[in-house]
Amino acid sequence: MDSTRIITITSGKGGVGKTTTTANLGTALAMQGKKVAVLDADIGLRNLDAVMGLENRIVYDLVDVVEGQCRLKQALIKDKRQPELYLLPAAQTRDKNAVNSIQMEELCQQLRQDFDFVIIDSPAGIEQGFRNAIVGANEIIIVANPEMASVRDADRIIGLVEAAGKPEPRLILNRLRADMVKRGDMMAITDVLEVLNIDLVGIVPEDESIIIATNKGEPAVYDKRSRAGRAYLDTAQRLLGEEVPLDEVLDSPSLLERLRRLIRFGPALSEKPARSQSS
Amino acid sequence: MGVFEFMVGRKKPTPSELAKERLKVVLVHDRLKVSPELLELIKSELLSVLSRRLDIDEQHMQITMTREGGLDTLMANAPIKRQKVTFEWDPPSKDVIRGKVHVEEDQQ
Repeated sequence: MDSTRIITITSGKGGVGKTTTTANLGTALAMQGKKVAVLDADIGLRNLDAVMGLENRIVYDLVDVVEGQCRLKQALIKDKRQPELYLLPAAQTRDKNAVNSIQMEELCQQLRQDFDFVIIDSPAGIEQGFRNAIVGANEIIIVANPEMASVRDADRIIGLVEAAGKPEPRLILNRLRADMVKRGDMMAITDVLEVLNIDLVGIVPEDESIIIATNKGEPAVYDKRSRAGRAYLDTAQRLLGEEVPLDEVLDSPSLLERLRRLIRFGPALSEKPARSQSS
Repeated sequence: MGVFEFMVGRKKPTPSELAKERLKVVLVHDRLKVSPELLELIKSELLSVLSRRLDIDEQHMQITMTREGGLDTLMANAPIKRQKVTFEWDPPSKDVIRGKVHVEEDQQ
């Protein structure tokens, strides 16, 4: 389909929630009636199948398709609950170099014919696996946590995505802890956005329900009590072009703190400590 | 705000503020690939230019690459030894017009 959106979920750093995000956004979009394929590009370390509870149904994988061992349709696994959601699993016994960029781009073109959305779960890192994951994408979403290492890696990824000639990536800020932000122990959303200079598409709170959902093999979007699940549903709505307000409660430094920040935010050059000492 | 406020010890930064300031610096270095050696060189060159006009406290001079308002920025903090301020009024070259040299008002 001409209008197919191929979205790669990437991060640079590992463990920030790419796979969880892929599973939840894919499921949420399918719940909205979209035809969705989720693709695990993390060859050798597959997990998207487990997060979606489909690990027992794998016969063929992405490498089999690329090498012509099977047809694409044979490798696509139908989701348990969503009739229009399919998983293309990664190979577990191969490595990232089993596939090249040209093959990945061809695979994306093939998936395009049958789906409204293709969501690609990128491996961590900036090597071949990452390059394969973004080559066929027409949108990039970066997942980051509000901490040093993750934000630093996200900035590196932004640079690489730009260099690859892809459209400007957008950000999902994951595992935010409002209580820590309030205490000044964690960077607030505004801090991360200021440092990275990127558009935000979703904020997901740190939430135990994600681990529970993964244990059960049911994405958190099915759990009505899961705050993270609701955040993913909202994010999927935004991807569909609807205006869903970002949950400000998640990131609420007190009014006093906001005011202090505003006041301290003078232009950089107004900083003259030497002068204030001598006057 | 920023590194300088912390430096003069006006306020103890929260962990979140520290993270933000450290990130701003590290990201500029990551992007521009500025080595500490290059930064030292820039600092000494800046110092020699500034010292033509002002008595700079070399020990406490700091330069930092950071990100302000979405722009990668070089911030120089050059404290002036107030008690020993000397001005060299003759311009070092013809293109600096006499009398147009900017002087901080409280440096007399």
